[in-house]
Amino acid sequence: MKHVIVGNGIAGVHAAEAIRAIDENAQITMIGDETLLYSRPMISYVLDGSQSHKKLPIRSERFYEDLQIVPLLGNRASRVDVVQRHVAFADGTQVAYDRLLIATGADPRPLKAEGMHLGNIFYLRTENHVKQLVAALDDGFRHALVLGGGLVGFKAAYGLLKRGLSVTMLIGSGYPLSMQVDKTAGRMILDELLEHGLNVEVGVNVSAFEGNGTVRQAVTDAGRRLPCEIVVIGKGVIPARSIIPRRRIDVDLGVLVDGHLQTCEPGVFAAGDVAEMVDIARGVRWVNAIWPEAAAQGRVAGFNMAGRPVVYPGSLSRNVMRVFTLDVLTVGIANPPEKAPFRIVQRGGPSFGYYRRLVFKGDKLVGAVLINRIEQGGVLRSLIENRVPIRLPQEALLAPGFNFIQLLP
Amino acid sequence: MKQVVVHPERCVGCMQCMLACATSHSKSLSLFAATRETPQPKPRIHVGAGRFNEGFPNRCRHCDPAPCQSACLAGAIYRRANTGTVLINPDRCINCASCAMACPYGVIRFHEDPLGPAGHSIAVKCDNCSSRVANGLIPACVETCKSGALTYEEMDAAMRRKNRAVARSMSLDAASSAMPTGVALLKTVRQSELQLQTSALRSQGGDNA
Repeated sequence: MKHVIVGNGIAGVHAAEAIRAIDENAQITMIGDETLLYSRPMISYVLDGSQSHKKLPIRSERFYEDLQIVPLLGNRASRVDVVQRHVAFADGTQVAYDRLLIATGADPRPLKAEGMHLGNIFYLRTENHVKQLVAALDDGFRHALVLGGGLVGFKAAYGLLKRGLSVTMLIGSGYPLSMQVDKTAGRMILDELLEHGLNVEVGVNVSAFEGNGTVRQAVTDAGRRLPCEIVVIGKGVIPARSIIPRRRIDVDLGVLVDGHLQTCEPGVFAAGDVAEMVDIARGVRWVNAIWPEAAAQGRVAGFNMAGRPVVYPGSLSRNVMRVFTLDVLTVGIANPPEKAPFRIVQRGGPSFGYYRRLVFKGDKLVGAVLINRIEQGGVLRSLIENRVPIRLPQEALLAPGFNFIQLLP
Repeated sequence: MKQVVVHPERCVGCMQCMLACATSHSKSLSLFAATRETPQPKPRIHVGAGRFNEGFPNRCRHCDPAPCQSACLAGAIYRRANTGTVLINPDRCINCASCAMACPYGVIRFHEDPLGPAGHSIAVKCDNCSSRVANGLIPACVETCKSGALTYEEMDAAMRRKNRAVARSMSLDAASSAMPTGVALLKTVRQSELQLQTSALRSQGGDNA
């Protein structure tokens, strides 16, 4: 059985390991445009200075050899032919498959602006991006502009602040991480950043960059000029779908897959940031482009490819991060429609030193936002993921002395 | 292969397991001296209040597959093949808390550890007392538990004992019960208290259904 995995991020790696664990004779080929096997979320820690670039790799250099995987690294595949059952490269090379996993990840959404050719304008997705960004910091630049208040923009702003730069973050909503947290938590996080020197502007869009070789200022839609020497663009990611034959394989935002992570084309699977499937909390199809999802999906995809029909119950958004003195953990839906069957209970807030917001849909938990005391957040995540009906009074879950053990069956 | 088996119905909430666990992961290995260490050693087993306010010893289950291992950003969590123990490498851990977000049991904590890198908080959880076992001892929590809530045995043996106890308690000569009568009575009282509390909360706050 010939398995071809396009993408050597964590989804691809876990898939390969799962296949090899079941089938010692399978042929496995991994195609990836990056040559390093590393932890993508860790680049934020390299940016903020807490981890060295050398700690990024999460598998040994002998990974491919030890698992007898044929690596084809350094180039993106250019297309998939599902009739001929092969993956083709631009130079005409073809790799035949019996089972194919599309784990190509997602690319930063490009910014439409003039002057993008100027130096020191960065996206923050790859280890190469962070390497260049950190090198630019070593050149002594002081003023940074971050576009976007989502996960990438937020972590970029935080990292640059920790490095001692003067940072201005341009966000669309009234608070950062608006997809992950509600107004109250958003306010607490924003205040924490403001206290540490962040400048924030809401509703400002950049249409051009100006400079002499390297960027010197950004020009807003309204014509204002914002001085900056470093720019990081965090305006979301788009699943990397260019190799997919759209007439044969259904694609919405991501590649559509079923409960076995298989696309509509038999034998072709998808996992990770590129894949779109039912979101357990939302109840509709969604792309949850986060590391733990890619890790879990890759493994299940690998089992299915190797002939073991493991079901994947659906994806779930979740994030945990430490922001100066705050710890933030979010799962599922933070901002539901404010009507039945949704019900929100919350406790704590800006002057309490902690915050808890639980979102219920009927008797099931579908969302949680925690600020501080996050250690047992996994219990809540597990309740959401397993759709466990909560029989205790919902308010009881918020009591300061409440022990999450009471929720364990 | 022996493993730590939890019998939650026998836990009386004395928390001695927490003290023994912390002590056995200290530099001095003495309870008295451990309380004076910096950083202070902390337990990896956590006795929380269960549904009836009874004690519940919450420890890492060393799951297979381990969600914490899958979610770890830094590749710091691994399994020791011969014992199945899931371990966190203190030198690779970046304190991101992804493992805690993954753990369905809430058994991971974050703090500076006497046996970890100085001055840095890291993820800490039960390590199956690997060093004690390697030296011929049994896990500290089991050694100290007086009520039999934590035992160190083969899972088959534990199941056999429990099946026998339940069978005996249902026999015609039902003089012996499946759990100590004092503990059973305590749980009944607590359960009634909780039901009273719950109905009081419900009548105040309206129906949650």
